[in-house]
Formats: sequence, structure tokens, C-alpha cells
Amino acid sequence: MASGAVANHLMKKHGIAAKVGIWIGEAYLPLLTGVFFFVLWEALIRLLNVPRYILPAPSAVFLEFAQHSRLIWYHTLVTANETFVGYAIAVVLGIPISIFVAFSETLQRTFYAAAVTLGMVPTIAFAPLFVVWFGFSFASKMLVVFWVCFFPILINGIFGFLSLSDELRHFSLSTGADRVTTFWKIRLPAALPQVFVGLKGAAINATVGATIAEWIGGNAGLGYYIQVATGDFNMRLALAAIIMLTALGLLLYFLVILAEMKLMPWHESQRERG
Amino acid sequence: MTDEFIRLAGVSKRYESKKGSVDAVAPVDLCINRGEFISLLGPSGCGKSTMLMMIAGLLDCTEGSIHIDGERVVKPQTNIGIVFQNLVLVDWRDILGNVMLQVEMRKLNVKDFEARARELLASVGLDGFLRHHPYELSGGMQQRTAFCRALVHDPPLVLMDEPLGALDAMTREQLRKDLEKLWMDTGKTFVFVTHDISEAVQLSDRVIIISPRPGKIDAEIIVDLPRPRDFDVMQSDEFHRYVKDISSIFMGYGVI
Repeated sequence: MASGAVANHLMKKHGIAAKVGIWIGEAYLPLLTGVFFFVLWEALIRLLNVPRYILPAPSAVFLEFAQHSRLIWYHTLVTANETFVGYAIAVVLGIPISIFVAFSETLQRTFYAAAVTLGMVPTIAFAPLFVVWFGFSFASKMLVVFWVCFFPILINGIFGFLSLSDELRHFSLSTGADRVTTFWKIRLPAALPQVFVGLKGAAINATVGATIAEWIGGNAGLGYYIQVATGDFNMRLALAAIIMLTALGLLLYFLVILAEMKLMPWHESQRERG
Repeated sequence: MTDEFIRLAGVSKRYESKKGSVDAVAPVDLCINRGEFISLLGPSGCGKSTMLMMIAGLLDCTEGSIHIDGERVVKPQTNIGIVFQNLVLVDWRDILGNVMLQVEMRKLNVKDFEARARELLASVGLDGFLRHHPYELSGGMQQRTAFCRALVHDPPLVLMDEPLGALDAMTREQLRKDLEKLWMDTGKTFVFVTHDISEAVQLSDRVIIISPRPGKIDAEIIVDLPRPRDFDVMQSDEFHRYVKDISSIFMGYGVI
């Protein structure tokens, strides 16, 4: 039995008090790897005498972080706002549209082809245009995030809602069920794994979109802050901002994984490994 | 006394593709009686599954016609249960839920049919596994669940497309017993597709022998053995004679 299964078993047996202990037991290897990475980094910088305007030691980064925490927090909130709103709109539009396209032959031949073509354009290339069209404000960045998230969600969604095994299709037909019943009871749950492939891909794109949008035309946000910091050769501050961007990306990804565990506990990826 | 239930008249199937056309089923004529356990037996690729799908109304006939209970089959039939070659249990429902999927899709009364679903599952020894998911069960248990799903709405006709093909020899043996019991208990018409000669003899009232592509009916053997066909029956000389007779027909085709 893998350690995960053991932990799950123990959790059921001993309740919350033991949970924390088990969680530490599960997490200590990844944590140790992280600590080792930072210690190695610190040691190499000191041993090799790397100038701090090239690459500062992690201790210096954390010190700078602490000193400018209010400002970093302000820029983090700006970026978080663009990221989460853009992502949410991409989900709210992307999934229903993918359903419509999957169920309409006409839409497949018109809209789908257009969507794939647009999706093939490096979406990030539109970022400067968005700034021209929508200004330097929140809207243009949020729209860039939306743009880079929308296509993975749409295309994976269409793919998910279109693929159904012949046998399941035949089974549905033999029951005489109408399209709506077939959708809720069979097509939707069968499509979920592919839909989540899109949602996870989009979550990875989201912070990339926000950062680049802020580089191109911004006066706030972590992407903007990185540019200002590197302009001053303040690598400590730039790295502090990158850490926050990473945290932001991880938070979004974590939320998607959480939804995945809630919505499809039956999927191969969620099962206990025996 | 025989009571005609299904009639295939001059039914053929040709698949057209860019690589040319393939005759999967040559014109066949066949009558299936009500309450009969009938097997379509033939080597793989002989078109026996195609015949079954045409009876289900899931594939069109290229020529000829199929009537069930006097009504011509022109669209997917709903008054049937199908057991597929690959299991179509869904992972997002437990065993009871998978059987009830049939009921819910048909918008039948869930309360009334749940009792029946539980009863059916119990009759194949699955009463202790109602809340398990398909991936937590063995292949044999999954296939038993599929049988129950094909029967829960009480259809007069059950079509089975090599339902035991993916199982190991011991499990197959057990499931044949289950299948015979389900058939004897319910008195439904079972149309069973297989490539296993002794399986066809063990289960069927009548074995329809289908020649390789294009599939056509070459012979039919009425299996006159007592039921249930337990170990003793299967060890009898008569049983072995049926198997031997059918084997020699397939030897003639050069497929065994």
C-alpha cells in the first residue's frame, strides 16, 4: 500500500488530532526538498561571491520582502484581482459555449473552426492590442487573462462533450432517453475529466497572462513591480514579487484541484492507490 | 408450440468507406421465438455483432427488414436490454446506481424499481456490494452488474454481445450459470452473440452458425439437453457430440 492510502486509513481511524501529524508525515519530504534548495542557494551565493545585483541570496530576498511587505501585498492584490476575475469569466463563458458547440453541427462547422484558429494565434500576442483598445486600467489586463484562459477551457470542453464511447451512446439510445436527460446523466459526467484538463491548463496560463499584460502597459501589479525592480537592479525585490506570483498561481491551481476532488471523486486520479 | 417474436427477412449489411465496400452480413433470414435462448455463433469478424446491432435498431440494414413483435425496426429499440462487449458501467455511480441508471434514463418510478434492482443484484450475489464503484469490483462482478442493468426494466428481449469475452475461464463458467438462471427465472428472449462453441451449446436452445465474412447463416443446431445444464450435463456424451458437430462445421470453413 502506498503511503497515501496508509494515511487515509489512519485518518479515518483517529480523527482530526492525528490528521495534522499525518499531514506532516506526508509533507515532510517535499518540505525538506524546499529547505534543501534554499540552503544550497544561500551557500552557493556566499561561497562563489555572486554580486547581489546578479542573484541575491534567499536571506536577502526574504529581508527585502519583509521590509516592503505592504507594497508587495498591494501589487499582489492588483494582480490577484485581474487573474481571478479573468479566469472566472473564462470559465463562466467557456464551459456553456463548449456545450453549445458540441451539440450543434452548425456551430461546430462555423464557430469551432474559428475558435481553433484564434486559439492557434499565440494569444499573448494580442496583449498590446488589448492595451490600445481598453487602456492601462484593470479591464485590459483582466481581458488578457480571460483571453489566455478561454481557449484551453473552450477547446477541451468541446472535446470532452463530443467524446462518448459507442457503447454508452448505444446504451443511451436503447433507453429512449431525451437529450436533456442523456446530457445530465451521461454526457456531463463523462466529459468532466476532459473539462478539468482545460481548467488546469487555463489556471497555469492565468498568471502568465496577468504578468505580461502588466509588463506591456501597467502602473500596478506584480508584473509591473518586477519591471520597476529590475530597472533599479533590485533583484531582491523582483524575486520577492516572483515568489508572490508563484503563490498566486499555486492558489488558483489548488482551487481547481479542490473542485476536481469534490466533483469527481470517482476518477482514476483521485482513487487511493493500493 | 412456437411463437414467432423476431423475424429477419433478407437482411444484409454493407459498409461503404473510401477503401471500398465491405459486405459484413450477406442476406440472412432468421426467426427467433418468444422465450428462446438463441446464440449467434461464429468466428470474430463474421458480422454476428452487426446482426445484433441491427436487431437493436442501432444500425440500419442495407437490404431486407427486421420485425419485432410484428413491428418493423426503423429506429433504436427501447423495449430491450443490451449487454455490451465492453462494459458500459459508469465510474461515477456505484453498483446500485449503475443499475438504476437504466430506470432513471427511462424516467420510471425510482422507488418501485429500486426494490427490483436490489433483488436482481442479490440474485447474482452482489447484495453486499451495492455501494461499491465498478472499479472496486472484479470483472465478473462488473459483468453481473451489467446483466442486472439490462434486466431491471423488465424488457421482453435481452441482446448480449459477447458479454463473457473479456473474462477468465473460471469466472466465465460461473457467469454462464448465472446467465442460465436469470434466463430461466425471467422467461425472456435472450439473443446471445459468442465465438465460444461450448458456451453456445451450454446456454442455448438453438445455435445459429454463422460463416465467415460476409456473415450468413449456414446451419442451425437445436440443442436438446436438460436444464439447468450443470456439471453432469456438460460431461455427458450428448453435450460433447454437439460441440464436436459444431466444431467440424467450423473446421470446414478453415477457421479452426
